Amino acid sequence: MKMRAAIVTLLFAGMNLLAVAGGVQAQAWSGPRPDQNLAGDQPGYEPSAQEEELPAEFRTQPVFFRTTEPPGTIVVNTSERFLYLVQGNNRALRYGIGVGREGFQWSGLKRIDRKAEWPDWTPPPEMIERQPYLPRFMAGGAGNPMGARALYIQGTVYRIHGTNQPWTIGSAVSSGCFRLTNPDVTDLYERVPVGTRVVVLQPPKL
Amino acid sequence: MSISVRLSKLVPILAMGAIIAFTCGAATAQTLATVKSRGTLTCGVGPGVVGFSAPSPSGRWTGFDVDFCRALAAAIFDDADKVTFVPLSAADRFRALQAGEIDILSRNSTWTMGREVELGLTFPVVTFYDGQGFMVQRARKLETALDLGGSKVCAQSGTTTALNVADYFNANGMKYEPVLTASADETVRAYDGGQCDTMTTDASALHSERLKLARPDDHVILPDIISKEPLGPAIRQGDAQWFNIVKWTHFAMLDAEELGVSSKTVDEALASQKPDVRRLMGRDGGYGEKMGLTNDWAVRIIRRVGNYAEVYERNVGTKTRLGIPRGINQLWTAGGIQYAPPIR
Repeated sequence: MKMRAAIVTLLFAGMNLLAVAGGVQAQAWSGPRPDQNLAGDQPGYEPSAQEEELPAEFRTQPVFFRTTEPPGTIVVNTSERFLYLVQGNNRALRYGIGVGREGFQWSGLKRIDRKAEWPDWTPPPEMIERQPYLPRFMAGGAGNPMGARALYIQGTVYRIHGTNQPWTIGSAVSSGCFRLTNPDVTDLYERVPVGTRVVVLQPPKL
Repeated sequence: MSISVRLSKLVPILAMGAIIAFTCGAATAQTLATVKSRGTLTCGVGPGVVGFSAPSPSGRWTGFDVDFCRALAAAIFDDADKVTFVPLSAADRFRALQAGEIDILSRNSTWTMGREVELGLTFPVVTFYDGQGFMVQRARKLETALDLGGSKVCAQSGTTTALNVADYFNANGMKYEPVLTASADETVRAYDGGQCDTMTTDASALHSERLKLARPDDHVILPDIISKEPLGPAIRQGDAQWFNIVKWTHFAMLDAEELGVSSKTVDEALASQKPDVRRLMGRDGGYGEKMGLTNDWAVRIIRRVGNYAEVYERNVGTKTRLGIPRGINQLWTAGGIQYAPPIR
């Protein structure tokens, strides 16, 4: 596994060199590379620090955000692919996220009822059915699709979690969950206690 | 400074111009009829402002301000290309509008009281809320401009920008060291060269100046806005029908976004049973004809140009080179202050 990760890293570094030689400076986000899987989970894959460096628009940044939700509330705007941590005084911290695929989308107000570091992963039966190659259980760690931290959303099977596929930030792939890069979810984890309100916004239906 | 002196001398002349425009107004108040008989909308725009109005290499005008005129043309003619774009300098823009050389000015102009009461113009809507902001190095991980105490601040001298900075730092009891420069380009160079900790100007300009830095992605624009620069189209006073058409063109694009109607979903929306969607689509209400257009006026705008989000993201949004977050221009339902009255 280490060997494979090292090869991928080398390949990626090589591509970056090519990009620089080609005169490309701020690499435009043109979606994932062919070897970066969007279609399914990749248990065991360990992302490099370089892969966790997101395109500028998805990196964490403070933004103007006017809301009636109290400070400390998490607001997830699924169509924007952003998660906002409301800070009051018309501002919020904005994180880039990946969201649930079509058909796995939901909205509403919930609370975080549990937090975990390097969570274990037990894919639910529906996921096993769609992706039969998935393990039935995987212990927490760098290659775990749940990533570095998980915030469990009360009364649902859903959670805000990390990922070992950072290139999926900005797209709709996960099974109804919200995923952040491991550095971002670690940052968010430190800022929100159990009991935090989570508001999920979906685009309007015609 | 010299500008304000010259302006005060100009005011009586401009005011006279406004009176003439008023008297002529009786004959030319029917802007819509004039536009229809001419067969094209005449739209004053900026001569080349990235993201807002600029001609492409092939000569086609694109941008946020350009799209507003295309939306108007779509509402009137069902054709977003029936627009004659007239590039205007900052000095010429209001005179051209007063003189009737253009039907509308869509040129990132700030809506101020003086421009309405002294120039005989009116700003029907705010299409883009701009204001003065600060750019800092991303690595400093600052979350608010209130953490800028003790900073060296690069700003252009002789502008309201420098005055706003003084007000802001004084009001918040923070010390700072101004680094004043002679031009916008010099400000960027001074900031990039490390002569100051932050640079300040209007937020939309900060996003375009950021592209000139050696490593644009290493810099962020803080969310704090310390001045009001509401940008929008301007028209002549005295034509209530034209005023309504300009207003509701903007509102239709906002309401469309709020209801989930875009250029991609417009056909689906035509079949919708939701009452507010049906009124927007002109299936109920018949408001378009009462305004002098057709009842499918909003459908034409959305199909030919798009809703507000589409226009914003295509021209200045986070996926473009400018990369301006929606921020304060987000819908009122999603953290911003863009709010349209209902179509009913």
